[in-house]
Amino acid sequence: MLALEARDLTVSARIGAATVPAIRALSFQLAPGKILGLVGESGAGKTMVGRAIAQLLPPGFAITAGALLFEGEDLLTMAPARRRALLGRAIAFIPQAPMTALNPVLTIGAQFDEHLARLGLKSRNARRERAIAMLTAAHLPRAEDLLTQYPHQLSGGMCQRALIALAFAGNPRLVVADEPTTALDVTMHPPILHLIAEMQRQHGTAVIFITHDLRLAAQLCDDVIVMYAGRAVESGPARTVFATPAHPYTRCLQLANPAMSAERRTLYVLPDQMPSLVQLQHIAGCHFAPRCPLVTAECHREEPPQVAVTAVHTVTCIRAADTFGISTAGRSFGPPALLEQPLLRVENLSKHFAISRGLFGAARTVAAVNDVSFTIAENEFVALVGESGSGKSTIARLLVGLEQPSSGRIVFDGADLTTPSLRNRTRRAASLQMVFQDPQSALNPRRPIASIVTQAMEAGSRHASAEDRLKRTKELLAEMGMPADIAARLPGQLSGGQRQRINIARALCRVPKVLIADEIVSGLDVSIQAQLLSLLARLRAELGFAMLFISHDLSVVRHLCSRVLVMYRGEIVEQGPVEEVFGNPQHPHTQALLSSVPPDEPGATWPLLRAN
Amino acid sequence: MLVIVAKLVARRLLAAVPILLVVSALLFCVLRLLPVDPAAMSLPTTATIAEIEAKRREMGLDRPLPEQYLIWLSDALHGNFGRSIQFGREAGSLVAATLPATIQLAGAAMVLAAIFGLGGGLLLFHLRGTWFEAVTDIVSILLLSIPEFLWGLILLFVFGVALHALPFTGAVSPNLPQPHVTGFLLIDALLVGRLDVFASAFRHLILPALALGLAFSPAIMRVLRSSLFDVYHEDYIQQARLRGLSERQILLGHALKNAALPTLTLAGVQFGILFSGTLLVEVIYSYPGMGNLMVDAVRNADLPLIEAIGLTYCVAVLLINTVVDSLYVVLNPKLRVR
Repeated sequence: MLALEARDLTVSARIGAATVPAIRALSFQLAPGKILGLVGESGAGKTMVGRAIAQLLPPGFAITAGALLFEGEDLLTMAPARRRALLGRAIAFIPQAPMTALNPVLTIGAQFDEHLARLGLKSRNARRERAIAMLTAAHLPRAEDLLTQYPHQLSGGMCQRALIALAFAGNPRLVVADEPTTALDVTMHPPILHLIAEMQRQHGTAVIFITHDLRLAAQLCDDVIVMYAGRAVESGPARTVFATPAHPYTRCLQLANPAMSAERRTLYVLPDQMPSLVQLQHIAGCHFAPRCPLVTAECHREEPPQVAVTAVHTVTCIRAADTFGISTAGRSFGPPALLEQPLLRVENLSKHFAISRGLFGAARTVAAVNDVSFTIAENEFVALVGESGSGKSTIARLLVGLEQPSSGRIVFDGADLTTPSLRNRTRRAASLQMVFQDPQSALNPRRPIASIVTQAMEAGSRHASAEDRLKRTKELLAEMGMPADIAARLPGQLSGGQRQRINIARALCRVPKVLIADEIVSGLDVSIQAQLLSLLARLRAELGFAMLFISHDLSVVRHLCSRVLVMYRGEIVEQGPVEEVFGNPQHPHTQALLSSVPPDEPGATWPLLRAN
Repeated sequence: MLVIVAKLVARRLLAAVPILLVVSALLFCVLRLLPVDPAAMSLPTTATIAEIEAKRREMGLDRPLPEQYLIWLSDALHGNFGRSIQFGREAGSLVAATLPATIQLAGAAMVLAAIFGLGGGLLLFHLRGTWFEAVTDIVSILLLSIPEFLWGLILLFVFGVALHALPFTGAVSPNLPQPHVTGFLLIDALLVGRLDVFASAFRHLILPALALGLAFSPAIMRVLRSSLFDVYHEDYIQQARLRGLSERQILLGHALKNAALPTLTLAGVQFGILFSGTLLVEVIYSYPGMGNLMVDAVRNADLPLIEAIGLTYCVAVLLINTVVDSLYVVLNPKLRVR
């Protein structure tokens, strides 16, 4: 018997008076003990499938057609009490953000106790023993102590292990894991995925694995469904689908993702973004047609049928035969940077933060940045990589003057910027500009775009005239490849990708010498990320600026930067040209970071996932 | 956890010292700036100018203000707040005699406010998304805008005057004895075994406590409701649902404890205000507490008594805040950092 089967599952959203399908006619079969991957960018409808299983859809959404059979029983027509009885017992969920998925005011032990009591363990002692056994099975050390701890005392990885233990505690027959590693540090990805795979094998559980990461899906899943705008565009065995993609979207996504091994090539830039539900109403025929490189007039006429590529591999495209022809060119890097004449020189920079120990305790300090030295040459893109808390963002804040260093120098163009003076401040503002990670909070929601991007023209004694500012806005928007009518809008009216462009445009208003970019593409979809990375490369060629590119994504770093600094616990542990450092990493932390990235080739084995 | 609470209390008590100094200095200065002469007031109206001058010297009123304050302060530290001008008794002992009644009233009011607040908040939250929600919204805003003295008058007229259901003057029937052991009338009545006194005191407490409780519950109600709303958007609630917990288990086992944190913060502030709110309610119900004493003292410009009562209110509010913050530490594990 199948663990889960979807038959023409359709989820619709009410938008005004209209009903728009958010998932249309999705069908799949999941056998016990198998992992099915749902792959695609945000807005594809992946998460909605998981929510449909629990029937916990967001307000305004409803399942309007189809069947969802759990072990032959339709979850959609089942009595709510019967369905709730299955949740947590036969069907379990692993969440995306482990830190917030545990109740902060209850101990880990209390949360296990509640769940195990619901599973029918009568005695308190039996529940305690079972909790310890499950936590130990999830490779959490000192499980007894853990029971008395609160979620905030645990790291994100430990929380996720506890939640995985909780999910498998009831021997579920189906587990839905929705981007279970996205919120965690890169080096936590392999062990968490390994744990899920291990538990899944031990318990013979069927798993629905939701992810945006194609390489990861190739490694972990037996079968995959690639989704686009609510439709399954391609499905089949994971390795087959990614080795021989038949749908242009699958192929374009692969080409939009920077490679870790092969020769560096330009990224495939899919124009625009995934249509929203409102836009979907107005798209006739194939949903992907407006962005598809292989589009023909026929594609707009009607929804493409599902065709079999092989017995197990299906695709929803009439041009599937030509998909493999989509490709990108190899790319050359611009002129080599003049390393002998560094533009920015950071010397022995340190930053200590005092952690107060209350009224009676002695003050202690922690070194967020410890004795860090590096240089950036003109036009050079330098990457700063490391895990969260390693001190990357502190360096950015020190460079732009949001924090004062405890010791060390920041020498720009021969002058030490750390000496406090008005001249240094204006010099710093003119030559170093920062792009913040989250455009949502970095852009004032009450200011129109024109006022945001030319904010730099308000500085100093000379205020620029409104005409000058509008003129500059138009230039900047054109530079960013955005329509001029955006100037009058507010940040809230833009998409995530557009907001990040505005965020970059603001820093480029008075073309700085060095751009400091703090995780500016993380959290964005692959196709939007490719757009921004290509934009940055083009802007450098046109305007000429250097960049300190802070990131945790090594493939992006490899694509964009020529040199890399690896940070670990406040110190730079390794630095050098990207090829050298990535090709022959010396420091254990660099090695750990590199091995956390799944291999490019769908057929290759990822040692960390298979190892015991 | 006990250590952390103890540390917090110690820190708070230490911080209370400068606060009390500032408040007492402020009180002292403001009262001295009033155009009243305590010396003249403490003498018969037939006293001559010379006699008043002599009295001024005797009371130390001819000295510079800072010196006067220091004298008063050192006396106050020895428990001597001076003699009340109108009663001729120690101001400290007058406060001590009326404070228990006020604490009793404020405590009863707080319990009622908590019951109404929690019950109302849960009810409002339960009715979310129904057509009834709009009605409860309007009603709760209406309740929010009725101050305690208006409740006092409304309840007095309805239950006291119109229905003759409950007594509305004093703390106990005048024909009954008032036992005095701890100063808390309800407790003392039980201690001496006079159930009739207890019943009478209890009936006398109902209306003033209700007036205060009703005035302070709507804010708690609304904060609890909106905290619950916020908590229900958290991931752990969704995750609890995905584990198959019932809505009842989610509310009582997961949501309420989290929503209690912001509610407690507000309740703490409210209790401070409620304590001063006893003043007007005591006047309305001729309740023999510190509020009535204060009104008497102000009316007669009884400066030593005003100072003593003012400081007592200040200490009470500081103590309440310390208790609330300690409770907060007990409820919120994130604050239990050593």
